[in-house]
Amino acid sequence: MRRTSLIGVVTALAVGLVSFQASAKDLFYYIGNGVIQVIDGDTDDIVADIPAEGWLRESALSPDKRYLYVTARRHLIHKVDLKANKVVQTLDVSGGGWDRFIYGFDVAPDGKTAYASIRARTTEGGEVVVKPPRLSQLDLATGKVLRTLELPWDAATLTTVRDGRMVYVIGKDLYKIDVSDDQMRLVETYPMYEKQMNFLPFWNYAWENGGVFMANYYTPELMGLLAIDKKTGEIRDTPLNGIPVFAYSVIYSPDKKKAYGVMDELNVIDLETKTYESITVNHQGTCYGINVSSDGSKVYVGGGGSTVTVFDARTLRPLKVLQMATDGMDLRRVTF
Amino acid sequence: MSDKKAVLKALNEKARAIETLAEGEEESARALQEGPPGMPAGCTTVFDTGWETNPRPTYPVGNCQASARDFHGCAGDCWWPAQVPDGLTNHPDVDKQCPNVARDWRKLQYD
Repeated sequence: MRRTSLIGVVTALAVGLVSFQASAKDLFYYIGNGVIQVIDGDTDDIVADIPAEGWLRESALSPDKRYLYVTARRHLIHKVDLKANKVVQTLDVSGGGWDRFIYGFDVAPDGKTAYASIRARTTEGGEVVVKPPRLSQLDLATGKVLRTLELPWDAATLTTVRDGRMVYVIGKDLYKIDVSDDQMRLVETYPMYEKQMNFLPFWNYAWENGGVFMANYYTPELMGLLAIDKKTGEIRDTPLNGIPVFAYSVIYSPDKKKAYGVMDELNVIDLETKTYESITVNHQGTCYGINVSSDGSKVYVGGGGSTVTVFDARTLRPLKVLQMATDGMDLRRVTF
Repeated sequence: MSDKKAVLKALNEKARAIETLAEGEEESARALQEGPPGMPAGCTTVFDTGWETNPRPTYPVGNCQASARDFHGCAGDCWWPAQVPDGLTNHPDVDKQCPNVARDWRKLQYD
């Protein structure tokens, strides 16, 4: 009887696991102008529009996948309820006579606060006053700034690492900020500028990449991939062989044996040989954002212009071109 | 500079003002390269000239195709303020006026 029960439990768990895997569903969020459009990953149809004021930029997901935080006009933070497909709160970091601009944003692992790199300006006596960027920890419920740290002038994109104990900020170099104590501190600088590494890391797909922030960079000779393991904080630099391709953004295949990059073409990168496997023209033109279905069978490119092209990941043939409502900035995948 | 001054003569008020500035007035503006911040504010987060300016002599070459697909990315962040609306200061609502450049470009209204 006891053995039967055990078998029953194991069977039930196995069936549950299978049904969970079978029911895993990809939704893609097209980050547009004044709207976020939702694409069903099964049908590749647009299934919802979420009005959101402003031209949209960074996006970060709450740990429970319930909320997507999206910055707009570099000073608004929209909280999007992904169940209701609705903006439920908007914070504005400007105020008190200061214009503030967000150039890096990530939600902390606690889901209650976020880190942002913010530049501020005002006018005094007819003169423009610009403050150095600051790393600010924000209370996501109230928008209150909990603490700040002055950053180097070039600091911009950021990501939380090591379970929220550190924040890495990318500028000319990569700045490691210890945020585990009351006082945030710059504890290490990972040199990039002296290596002639030139970044535009506005697109990163950490949650789609299984917790790895990745951005491509250029030197005068090559393109490389800089990957940051958010769990461990490890930085992995992968210079690629061969004549560099153009790419705004890059993402791993689910097995991490390949990476895909996009700008004017869809580029496939073999990570074992560190070479470019193929370059496929996207006939819709330049795209900013890229994403991959959770099973790895489809690659999505879109943003920049108002299209999303769905490619078969094996044949690299376009399966579908979606005409979106607006031009866009990015394309994110959330798997429920 | 001194050679030029030897042969050039300021003829109007603006030219005389420039000359006066050159002779020792406090600087009111300076090139960003002189630092800090130390780099020109350009296309990338390292504030260097970016992808599109493409300093490489060889492949890859070329800008976004079509350039309209790069319009809002540049407008919002004020990367090419002489060519596209400056979304950070003067035209924060450019996305409302023209959310889809390929479709709505006729609605663009900016100086």
